[in-house]
Amino acid sequence: MDQLTEEPKKLSNEEIFDVLNQFITEVIGEEFVDEMDITQDSSFTKDLEMDSIEIVAFSEKVKIHFGQNINFTGWLSNMDLDEIISLKLSDIINYIRQCQ
Amino acid sequence: MGKFVFIVPPLTGHINPTLSVGAELLDRGHQVGWISLDENLGTQLPEGGQLLLIRYDQNDQEKNNSEQYLDIITKKIVYGIESIKFLYEEVLVPLNRHMFDGIVAQLDLFAPDVVINDHQLFAGAAAAYLKGIPYATSVTAPAAVKMMEDLPKIHEWEINQIIELQKELGIEEIKSVACSELLTMVFTSQAFFGNMELPGYYHFPGPVISHRKKMVAFDWNKFNTSNAPKILISIGTTFDHEYKKDFFSKVVEAFGGENLQVVLVSDPDLFEQWPANFIVQSRVPQLDLLPHLNAVICHAGHNTVSETLYQGLPLVVIPIAYDQSHVAGRVVATGCGVRLNYRRFRAHHLKDAVREILSEPAYKKAAEEIGRSFKESGGTTRAAELLESLVLYKEAATMDK
Repeated sequence: MDQLTEEPKKLSNEEIFDVLNQFITEVIGEEFVDEMDITQDSSFTKDLEMDSIEIVAFSEKVKIHFGQNINFTGWLSNMDLDEIISLKLSDIINYIRQCQ
Repeated sequence: MGKFVFIVPPLTGHINPTLSVGAELLDRGHQVGWISLDENLGTQLPEGGQLLLIRYDQNDQEKNNSEQYLDIITKKIVYGIESIKFLYEEVLVPLNRHMFDGIVAQLDLFAPDVVINDHQLFAGAAAAYLKGIPYATSVTAPAAVKMMEDLPKIHEWEINQIIELQKELGIEEIKSVACSELLTMVFTSQAFFGNMELPGYYHFPGPVISHRKKMVAFDWNKFNTSNAPKILISIGTTFDHEYKKDFFSKVVEAFGGENLQVVLVSDPDLFEQWPANFIVQSRVPQLDLLPHLNAVICHAGHNTVSETLYQGLPLVVIPIAYDQSHVAGRVVATGCGVRLNYRRFRAHHLKDAVREILSEPAYKKAAEEIGRSFKESGGTTRAAELLESLVLYKEAATMDK
């Protein structure tokens, strides 16, 4: 197979969710994640109770992981206050899928 | 000699630094006033300071309105990023709108050479701007400045709230005048603030914590007889009872009966009983206590963090709202302490965190380093010098006319 023409593998919703879930665990700690029922519908501020520094730390990890394909920090930093307050995992999954 | 006036919101953390700088200005022979909504401020002012009280008591309705602003910030349970929306929409914008006319009236009466507005009291900056009085800005919550970098859209949203109000108050320009382009004083050191490109009118005189009136009774006897490590626990003045109950019940579980002398800032009636190794008072002489402590646990309010680091003490920070998450981020980034999540932490996390900062010398060392950077920033002397330069600026501007 020709390496140069190979398309990067497209990740499914579930695969992206698993990666994000891992990052959330790294930011807030495993023992808390075990108790939460994290779904694609979970919001960062209401459901996961992440504060601004935690959201910034999480977004750093997403940036490093998906960096070459998406402008994640740019996307996030364009969000206004209401959008960040209501931000859900599914919003990020959709954005990453769009960029693939 | 100059005539200076501070314009302050009814928020302790924003007032305290102005008391220190004001006392220094008074010592240097200047006249100093404070424009405020809160008549109780009078008892806290340094000797010679004048309280310029905003009064709208032509009718009872207006008076009631003023009173409801005094503790408006404590009236709602807020957490995390949402608290910023609450702070602007329900506290700062209405408060500034309410104070504006009173500020203008007091400026006309007092006729200061220089106005110093709190960065969140943008009505003060707007009034000075409209009257053509040189003004400086006192930034008592520096993390708000840092937010520009981390979450630029949120900062932009904040600025838009300010610009909207300015328009209402008669300022045509589409930029925030909240922070003075002559002099904006950020009350921390650059080492603690972190790297950031800022315009040249930003100065960092360090925390200003001298010259504070001391008149709080404290059980020094009980405190001094304990040989255990001593810690102070405070979540500041802006959170209501519901927060305190939740928070302090975990504190009691973590430290009750431990080999620690705990000084806790709370209404003692919050619980029927406190552990024997606790001293609980609704006010404590925090500045007098700090030199005798080993560590501090707090909500990452900027003033308490600054006062603690000034003494070179490590911290456990548990941010609740507003800019506290960012202050806590700086405590961790500079190695001065450990951070817990307010919503998620349990008693055992708190216990582990305190054990960690007390037993690992790196935290204390880092805190001492930041403490040194604070002392080298010049403090009240530096702040007073910077302000005095604005009187000269005003004189030069008048001569040009």
